[in-house]
Amino acid sequence: MLIELEDLTKTYGAITALAGLSTALPEGAVGLLGPNGAGKTTMIRSLLGLIAIDAGKGRVLGMDVVHQALAIRQAVGFVPEDDCLFPGVTGVQFVAYAGELVGMGARDALQRAHEVLDYVDLGEARYRSAESYSTGMKQRLKIASAIVHDPRLLILDEPTNGMDPVGRDEVLALCRDLSRAKGMNLLISSHLLPDVEAVCEYVVVLGKGRVLAQGRIAELKQAHDRQFELRVRGDQRRFAGLLAERGVRAEPVNDHLLVDLPPDSTVATLWETAESAAEQIRSMRPRRSTLEEVFLRALEEPS
Amino acid sequence: MPILDQGYQHWNGKLGGHALRWLTITRQGVRAQLKNRWVVMTLASALLPALVLGAFLVLWGLFEQQSSILTPILFLFQNLPEELRAGPKGYRSTFWVLAFTQFFEIQLFVGMILTVLVGPDLVSQDLRLNALPLYFSRPLRRIDYFLGKFGVIAAFLLTITLIPAVLAYVVGLAFSLDPMMVRDTWRVLAASFAFSLIVTLSAGLLMLAFSSLSKNSRQVSAMWLGLWLVGNVASGVLMQPGRAWPPLLSYTTNLSRVRDAFFDVDHEWERVGELFRAGKGVVRSSSGFGPLGMRRRGRFSPPPPPPPSESAGAPAQAPWTWSAGVLAALGTASVVVLSTRVRSLDRLK
Repeated sequence: MLIELEDLTKTYGAITALAGLSTALPEGAVGLLGPNGAGKTTMIRSLLGLIAIDAGKGRVLGMDVVHQALAIRQAVGFVPEDDCLFPGVTGVQFVAYAGELVGMGARDALQRAHEVLDYVDLGEARYRSAESYSTGMKQRLKIASAIVHDPRLLILDEPTNGMDPVGRDEVLALCRDLSRAKGMNLLISSHLLPDVEAVCEYVVVLGKGRVLAQGRIAELKQAHDRQFELRVRGDQRRFAGLLAERGVRAEPVNDHLLVDLPPDSTVATLWETAESAAEQIRSMRPRRSTLEEVFLRALEEPS
Repeated sequence: MPILDQGYQHWNGKLGGHALRWLTITRQGVRAQLKNRWVVMTLASALLPALVLGAFLVLWGLFEQQSSILTPILFLFQNLPEELRAGPKGYRSTFWVLAFTQFFEIQLFVGMILTVLVGPDLVSQDLRLNALPLYFSRPLRRIDYFLGKFGVIAAFLLTITLIPAVLAYVVGLAFSLDPMMVRDTWRVLAASFAFSLIVTLSAGLLMLAFSSLSKNSRQVSAMWLGLWLVGNVASGVLMQPGRAWPPLLSYTTNLSRVRDAFFDVDHEWERVGELFRAGKGVVRSSSGFGPLGMRRRGRFSPPPPPPPSESAGAPAQAPWTWSAGVLAALGTASVVVLSTRVRSLDRLK
């Protein structure tokens, strides 16, 4: 397992940030979802050993979060959410310095800084002052500085916050490539569901400091056995009307109908309706939940 | 586009241990400060007192040996008291102490300037650009961060205090050609170490604390200058005969008092005073030439340098331990300020 947490509890005065959080996350790209105040950042800080937890235990890459915090931070790359920079350095110095801070030799760090800056497409700007970078460039610079030592796990806290669509796509493409082509484990915290869905295959939904739902995205987006996405050759609205006469609710959505079978009907009803109306059903597939639905359902369920 | 785009490559190098991780921060800080030409100029100007100190110790060594090399400038020594000329070895520790304290007096001034050039950015810029999460999310503890930043000031201050002092001491030893020199002057070396470390520790902590109080480096500079110059002025204005506490308001005076205690300067000044008073009559009759070869028309006598405490009208002095107490209090306050202002990430956003 990539990360194992057991009854992790952290309070700040009267505020409970983590309330007995238990989870086990597999290797790969994992999304950490949750509304503001769900405990995502506190969980990440616990994983990095940056905070003193009140109770519980946890392991990251097999290392104890309490007793091996420095070793974890050496093995993990972290991209903080905040806009943060080392002062007075160029891009390449920034990344090399980050490498030296995790224990790389100065020469290795500089060589590797050039490589990762090329990788994140900042090669042309490497000798510019980091403070002059745009928001998207700063984000890619932070990613470069987090992967300079080739960590086994890269943690990104809200990596696309405040970015324009182009910059956001670039960062997501980087994350996808790191995970799928380079085999790096990722933990991406975000409240933007499409971002998580674009990169991750596993997701954890946090709320009020505990896990509300978790699993492979493909499995969480379950197929509904009484709801179908149906496309016909002719007029969708006319066919929806015919279905309504048989007690089947059908709603046009984009280029298809969203069909909701009542309990006493079967799929045969759809075929019979089409046959009687001389209509051709071109495609029909069970509807799957969106990640947004999974997320909202998890938040609504009583803990 | 890179010339040879290999994409992302895995890295299999070895990572170092944690013990000296703070040195990385120090190295980076020193590199950054050396880009400032004012820092470089100040460092260069600080070499001059070191060279003068070294030259004096060389001259003293040759003087002790009555070396023929000194023949062309022998007239410079003819006005010295007979007792000193006959047996300079008996006064070697005295003159070494006075030379080193003069050296440290000048370097203290340079050190204050160097600190205000080097220090203000150290923490304030990190606060302004929110660099602390970048540091603390790496395998660094807060103490590593503090040590790293402190190391930058320490590197510069020790470069102008301890390092030249030790080098000058070694040069002085080398030119004395007398193994007993170590026995007679080891206290000078020990005091140099102690005072250099005290200055570095005190100024370093204070500047880091100031630097953590503002995100604006100019404000930090103003705080430092305020502590240094306003303290000196206030101390001078409030100074009156019988009042012992005004010097405590001056940061540099406190450092000087501690230095004088380490070197036991008062005692050495007394020795010199006695030496010159005793030799006054002899000197008056023995020479009609001043140090520059000008005829003094019989009225010359080297003025016995009075120790500061014996000067006419000098105000009462507080014990040096009071000054040490003030420095210790400032250091403690600095640590408290630093630990409050540079917080860990163990807090709610």
